[in-house]
Amino acid sequence: MFWLLLFLVVAAAVTLRQSAAIRLATSLRVLREERATLEARQADLRRRISEAQSRGSLARVAENLGLHEPVDSEITPLMVPRARPRVE
Amino acid sequence: MARPTLRISFLQACLLLGLLLVLGRAAQLQLFQGEDWAQKAEQQRTTRDTLEARRGSIYDRRGTPLAVTQEFYHVGVAPNEVKNRREVVKLVSRALRVPAGELERRLRTERYVYYHGPYTATDIEPLRKLKGVHAQGSYRRSYPTQSIAAPVVGRLDADSGAGGSGLERALDDLLTGRPGEAVFLRDRRGRRLESPARRVREPVPGNDAWLTVDYALQDIAERALEDALHDLEAEGGDIVVLDPRSGEVLAIASRQTAGVGARPTAFTDPFEPGSTAKLFTAAALLRLGRVDSTDVVNGHCGKLVVATSARATRVISDVHGECGDMTLSKAITVSSNVAMAQFSQRLDVTEQFTALRDFGFGSPTGIEFPSESRGALKAPEDWQANYTRASAAMGYEFGVTALQLAAAYGAIANDGVLLAPTLVREVRAHDGSLLYRHQPEPVRRVIPSDVAATLMRYLRQVVSTEGTARGAQLANYEVAGKTGTARRFIGGRYQGYTASFAALFPADDPQLVIVVKINNPTKGSYYGGATAVPLTKQMLERMLAARNPALDFKRLQESEPVPLATREVRQPEAVAPVLRVAWPYRDRDSTASEPVTVPEVAGQGVREAVLALHRKGLRVTVHGTGIVARLSPAAGSAAAPGTTVHLWTDE
Repeated sequence: MFWLLLFLVVAAAVTLRQSAAIRLATSLRVLREERATLEARQADLRRRISEAQSRGSLARVAENLGLHEPVDSEITPLMVPRARPRVE
Repeated sequence: MARPTLRISFLQACLLLGLLLVLGRAAQLQLFQGEDWAQKAEQQRTTRDTLEARRGSIYDRRGTPLAVTQEFYHVGVAPNEVKNRREVVKLVSRALRVPAGELERRLRTERYVYYHGPYTATDIEPLRKLKGVHAQGSYRRSYPTQSIAAPVVGRLDADSGAGGSGLERALDDLLTGRPGEAVFLRDRRGRRLESPARRVREPVPGNDAWLTVDYALQDIAERALEDALHDLEAEGGDIVVLDPRSGEVLAIASRQTAGVGARPTAFTDPFEPGSTAKLFTAAALLRLGRVDSTDVVNGHCGKLVVATSARATRVISDVHGECGDMTLSKAITVSSNVAMAQFSQRLDVTEQFTALRDFGFGSPTGIEFPSESRGALKAPEDWQANYTRASAAMGYEFGVTALQLAAAYGAIANDGVLLAPTLVREVRAHDGSLLYRHQPEPVRRVIPSDVAATLMRYLRQVVSTEGTARGAQLANYEVAGKTGTARRFIGGRYQGYTASFAALFPADDPQLVIVVKINNPTKGSYYGGATAVPLTKQMLERMLAARNPALDFKRLQESEPVPLATREVRQPEAVAPVLRVAWPYRDRDSTASEPVTVPEVAGQGVREAVLALHRKGLRVTVHGTGIVARLSPAAGSAAAPGTTVHLWTDE
C-alpha cells in the first residue's frame, strides 16, 4: 500500500512538473514571438523615420512649400554669450 | 517420493536458470551495452538542433542602424490540419499578400502549401494562432538605410551568410555570434514536440559595431555627389569627410555613372592628385629649410621649357601665366606648375620621395576596409631625376586614394601629426558592455608645428580672392583648401581630367577635412575650382544648416565668425593660427626624435608587418614574399624613427 502511494505521489509530481514546464515553454515561445514582432515593428518604424528625415524626402516637401536650402549668406550663426567668471 | 522431489528440483533449477538468464541479459543490456541503448533511445525521442546566433548590428556614430539582423519567417499551411478553411484563406492571403483564389486552389490540390517569403514577424502575427499554419523563423540581415553608405557597410555573401564585402567582411569575426545547441523532444514521426528544450549550449549573439560615419553627413555627401555627377556629366567621383583631430571618417561616398551599384573607389582606386599634391612638396621644402618666405622663382609667363636629357626638353605650363617673381606662398595660391617645378629642383629625389611617403602615400592607411589600395609611389631609384621631381611637385607620377589624400591634409590640420584614419568608433558586446573604443592613433609626425602653421596660411590664401578656390568662400566662416586638376592616365595614355579639392573647415581649428574628387567632368569647365569647389561649398552650406550636423557648433563659436566683407588676406607674419591637439601627445619633431622599440613582426604577413613598422615611424625594406621569418634590427631593440628595418621572409 505504501509503495503504491509512493508511486502515485512521485508520478503526480513528475506530471505536474512536466505540465508546468510545458506551460512555461509555451509562454516563453509566445513572448519570443511578441519580441520578434516588436523588433520587426521597431525596425520598420526606424526605416520609415530615417526615410522621412532624409534630405531627399525633406527637400521635396520643402520645395513644394516654396522653401529652399539656405545659401551661406542666409545662415546666421548666433553667438552664445560666454559666462563671466563669478567674483566673490 | 523421489520423483516429485526430483521434478520440483528440476523446475526450480530451470526457474533459477531462467532468472539467471534474465539477470544476465539485463546486466548485459545495462552494464555492457547500456550507453549504446540509451543513445539509441535518445536519438529516437529527441532531436539536437543548432540555435542560430544573431549577427551583431552596425550603427552610425549616433546610433542610426545601418545593418541589423531580424527574424524573418517562411510560412507553410497543412490543409489536413486546417479546421476553418475560410478563415485561414482570408487571413493568410491578407497577411502574405497572395490572391485568395490561388491559395484556395492550392489548399485543395496540394498536401502542403509553402510560401518562402521571407515575411516579417509583423506580417505573420495574425497567423500565429491558426491551426494548420506553420511559421518557420530564421535570421536575415536587413539594411534599413538602403543605399546610404551601402558600399562602406557592405553586404553578406549570399551562399555562406558570412561577410561578403565592405565592413560586413572586415568585421565579420566581431559581428558573427557563436551558435548554440539544444535538445528537443520529438514524436515517433520525428516532429518536434512543444516541450521545454534542454540547452546544451546557449547561442552568443555577435558584437555590435558603431561606425565613425555620420548618417546625416553621409546623406549630404552622397546626394551632393550624385547631383554633381549628373550636372557635370562626369564618370564618377569620391567624397571623403574626415575629422582631423581624431582620424575618424565622418562620411565617405563613391559613385560611378556607368555600371550597376557603387564601388568604394575612395578606398580602392588611386589617381594622380595633380595640384592638391603641391602642398606636400612645399612641406618638404619648408621642413628642410630649402625655401624661406622671401625666396622667389620666375613665373616665365606660364611657360617653362626644361631640358630632361641631352637632347630632350619638356614644356611645363600654367593656365594663368605669371610673368614676375613668385614666392612659394604665391605658387601655391595660384597653383603654378612652373614655379613648383623650379622649387622642386631644390630637393633631391630621396627627399621628395620621403616627404610623400611620410604623408602616407604608397602605403595602405590601415583602415578597417578589406580591399584598400596602397596607392602608387615609385621607389627613388625608379625616379628619373630630371623629370619625376617636377612631375611629383605637380602631383603626377604617383597615385593616391581619396582617403590617403584626406588623411594627409588631416596631418596638416592636426599640427603636422598624421593620424591613422578609422571607420570603427566603438565595439560593444550584445549586453552593451564596451569592448573597444577608438582613440586617435598617431602614425608619425610628418612636419614640425611651424611648417604645418605655414602650410595652413598657404591654404587660406588659396581660398582668398587671389586664389584658385575663391568659390569656396563662405559668408561667415573661413575655409582653407587646395584645388587640383590633373589629366587622367587611362589605358596607357592621358585622356580626360580629374578635378579635385581638399578643404579644411573652418580654417581656424579645422573640424573637417573634405576631399572631393570628380572623374572626367564633361559639361562645362573641368577645373577643380569650377567643379569640386562649388560642390564642397554646397556641402558645407548643407552641413551648417543641418539639424544634427557633425560639426561642433560650440567650437565653431569659439572661433569668432569673420564676415566676408571685412575679411582680409592674411599675411604670414600677421597670423598665429590656433592648432590644438586633442589628446596628450608627446611632441616628436624630426630634429629631436626619440628611439622607438622595434615591434615583433616575425610570423606575420608582409603587409601587416610593414603596416606595424610604418606606424612606429620606421622605414621598411622587404626581402621576399609571404610570412616574415626574421628582421633586422631585431624586435625589441631601440631604433630612431626613420631607421630602415629589413624583413626577410620564408619564401
